[in-house]
Amino acid sequence: MILWKSIIRHMKDKKFQYIGVTLLLVISIMLYVSLSMAISTLDNRNQEFQQTNNQEDFHFIVASSIEDNQLKDWGEQFNLTLEKRFYTDVTYQEDTTLRLFSKSDAVNTPYISEGEMPSDDNEIALSPVFAKAHNISVGDDMNVKGQSITVTGLVYLPDYIYILERESDLINDPESFGIGIGSKRVIESMASKTITQIVGEGGTEESISSLKDAVTSNYSLLKWLNADDNPRIEFVESEIQGARATVTTLPLFILVLSVMMVLMIMKRQIEMQRKEIGTLMALGYRKSELRRHYMLHAGFISLVGSLSGIIIGAALSIPITNLYSEYYNLPRVSYFDWDIRVLLIGFIVPNVILLLMTYLVIRKPLTQSPLTLLSPKDMSTGKKSWLEKIPFLEKGSFMTRFRLRLLIRSKARAFYILLGIMFSTMLLIFGFISYGAMGSLVDTTYKDIYKYDYAVHYNTLQQEEVEEGASPFTAGEINVKEVNGESSKVLDQKATIYGIQPETNQVQLLNDDDKVVNVKTKKGFIISQPLATVLGLNKGDQLTIGNAYNNETITKQVSGISNVYIGHAIFYEKSNVNDFLGYPKKVYTAKWTNEEPDQQESILFMEDKKDMIENFESTSSLMRYSIFGISAFAFFVGVIVLTLITNLIVEENSPSISLFKVMGYTDEEISKLVVNIYTPLVVLAYFLSVPIGVLAIDQMMASLVEQTGFSLPVNLTWPMVGIGFGIIMVTYYVSLFFSRRKVTKVSLQEALKKQQD
Amino acid sequence: MSIELTDVNKIYKSGEVEVHALKQASIDIPDKQIVAILGPSGSGKSTLLNVIGGIDRHDSGTIKIDEDMLDNMTDKTLTEYRRHTLGFIFQQYNLIPTLTVQENVEVGRQLSQNPLNMDDILEKVGMLDKKDKFPFQLSGGEQQRVAIARALVKNPRLLLCDEPTGALDEETGKKILSLLKYVNETFDTTVCIITHNNGIGEMAHKVIRMKSGEIIEAYENEAPLDPEKVSWV
Repeated sequence: MILWKSIIRHMKDKKFQYIGVTLLLVISIMLYVSLSMAISTLDNRNQEFQQTNNQEDFHFIVASSIEDNQLKDWGEQFNLTLEKRFYTDVTYQEDTTLRLFSKSDAVNTPYISEGEMPSDDNEIALSPVFAKAHNISVGDDMNVKGQSITVTGLVYLPDYIYILERESDLINDPESFGIGIGSKRVIESMASKTITQIVGEGGTEESISSLKDAVTSNYSLLKWLNADDNPRIEFVESEIQGARATVTTLPLFILVLSVMMVLMIMKRQIEMQRKEIGTLMALGYRKSELRRHYMLHAGFISLVGSLSGIIIGAALSIPITNLYSEYYNLPRVSYFDWDIRVLLIGFIVPNVILLLMTYLVIRKPLTQSPLTLLSPKDMSTGKKSWLEKIPFLEKGSFMTRFRLRLLIRSKARAFYILLGIMFSTMLLIFGFISYGAMGSLVDTTYKDIYKYDYAVHYNTLQQEEVEEGASPFTAGEINVKEVNGESSKVLDQKATIYGIQPETNQVQLLNDDDKVVNVKTKKGFIISQPLATVLGLNKGDQLTIGNAYNNETITKQVSGISNVYIGHAIFYEKSNVNDFLGYPKKVYTAKWTNEEPDQQESILFMEDKKDMIENFESTSSLMRYSIFGISAFAFFVGVIVLTLITNLIVEENSPSISLFKVMGYTDEEISKLVVNIYTPLVVLAYFLSVPIGVLAIDQMMASLVEQTGFSLPVNLTWPMVGIGFGIIMVTYYVSLFFSRRKVTKVSLQEALKKQQD
Repeated sequence: MSIELTDVNKIYKSGEVEVHALKQASIDIPDKQIVAILGPSGSGKSTLLNVIGGIDRHDSGTIKIDEDMLDNMTDKTLTEYRRHTLGFIFQQYNLIPTLTVQENVEVGRQLSQNPLNMDDILEKVGMLDKKDKFPFQLSGGEQQRVAIARALVKNPRLLLCDEPTGALDEETGKKILSLLKYVNETFDTTVCIITHNNGIGEMAHKVIRMKSGEIIEAYENEAPLDPEKVSWV
């Protein structure tokens, strides 16, 4: 149909409008496709790595050695694959720990991504992130403990997908911790002590449980960790699940915004072209043909937007996947996994929504008779709406009343402006809160509450007096059984119970009022913020917990919630915890101290608070950079939405603008009358969005606690509110700048032309 | 194509005010003739043209187009009637501003099952050399010529012209009228012109005069004048 040419020319004429809405659509689809495909590819890589390299289902450590025959017998008895694996932690370049594992053949088999498996006694393979962080390439020699070792390859281990030094850690940091593999002899040559763990795969829940019973009855079990509870394995899976659930929110919001913009443009276009439509109808064009013609406008935007979004999104998913894969240490078993479902959704959903909504918008005007369309539109009745009759709004100068009337008479536009500003504000608030939250989290938890420098965990129960200033404590794994007497959805939530001496100076449990509440551990449980959020606990609630290694349970009242933002922790008086865990009253399993302990046989592991802070700070610096990206994105979307709307206002009012010009009004005065009318609304929208944004982000952070194990304090400072306001106003004034240019282009003849029409 | 109107009435309502636009209008437009409908503003001539053209509906009476009754046609049938039978020419030309001269004519051509050659028509209306121009690059007369070409290219059996010279000067207006006469003679098209310019009646085979919605006079012109010779009011 020849009319398609008019579509192209019309779009060229209104290029800003069409480019603007198409860009919004592209952003929406691009975000959806890139994130969804990245998640899918990550999931595929994770699944494939798990299966191909026989990821463990559990591992355990016992106090004494287990004979190979015993393992073989258990394997046959419980239908499990069991294998011994040795590891040791060695110090590399003073403050870095390198954990070297012996190569396993049946469970947790290594994946060499570059180079080859180490075969000699002076060879090792390193995890790629560690090698990259320390600038080590395959073939390089590295000096570990005075020994020269050759790096033969880069290796991934299926039980160290998220490389954490300890299970209690939350953030990985290849600068300070890494893994590698080598022969048992290499490992033994580097450290005086090695730890033997038994890694197991296969079987059923029952058979694994039976094995655990068998191990417990014959050996002193120091550690048992199922894959489901292993953050090195589980973290990536919960990240995938969490991302799948949230990946559509932002794109969907932008999609709604772009659909509304398209509909607004289409409605306006039909209004402007009513005479053309009437002419075409009079000439004999069918309504279906005209509908198709106008649907083509939306179809064009939708097709260009969705295809570009899909192509850019798919391309962008590659670096995103690689970034994720690097963060989670998943080998690139596939380069790019097409997820047809994502592509189809990315194409079909926006196209269907846009075309359907456009159909609904253009259907009504096209039902009018050609004569109605050919006749000039009825003059406005000039009647005031109820809003304009509000007494104080009726007063004021001509300019105020004119602006007010314009504002009130385009309520839909006002709503879109409100929505656009709210969207940009929420993004900004999210960025600001994230910016400040990590710092606040680290300061409160690691500086105000945890006063120690080192937390030393022993592999046997300790009775000796600790040095002066140090504070002994008992730590144990627990499962949450009941909250207020009810088995809730969070049944079996894992947590760590800390048996502390209430008078300790090493841990100062602060509550919301900044009061130290250590003494309350005598009466009941003091719990950390993440645990309180996950379980929905408040002070005074009853909490029942179970010992992870036997069936003992204990019920206590929550006597306080401390601003410990990291980890699912319960603090309770040490003697009671010892009792609960079945230990003698005076023993302890760990101590908090300010002196770095000597390497001892009995130390299972040690937490260096400085490392923890560095870990968090390296992550928060990433977040700090991302605030600029988020601000730019909020600014960009805001400018598009605001400019589109103010442009339409100018277009709609071009006869009045022309008349004002004829009468001698300056462009500046006209801009004030017609273009700047939304200033109060923009201000209102911003200050409305701030509390809504804070509430929404608070909810979002709460939902992330279970996944991340730390809750971010949602605090927004007044300077941040001020900066956000500044950004929003700049966004608004940039859009006004574009619209003012349009005002200057309205010709003086416009008014005359309109009169003739 | 012959048209027969019998006792046609049309009333417009605007709030409580009723305007009787057509009162018992009965006329007969013979096949292959030029008919001029004359009358001052508000006389009902545009309403008459609109109901004949099927872009407005009459309230009572009958309209017969050849053997078909317009009265009971559905919106769809009316569209098909306009599509295959009619050519419309408007006073304000109503060209599509984003299409060139040739493309505007193409808009009409593609509706027809039996279209005329586009270049021939453009040549006839004297617009072949400007076929790539956009409407805003043309004078009023030129735009009206394009509108005529758009109507003609469909090879319609009935050409309805609503004040086709209303916005033109005498010289250009007469050229347009000559063109309409040429169309009538060459393609046997029935041409129905409404105008307040009484002089145009001199070139028509039949003249119908209207006043206040009524047909006050209808007569046949025994010797229609050449358009160049009509008086211009």
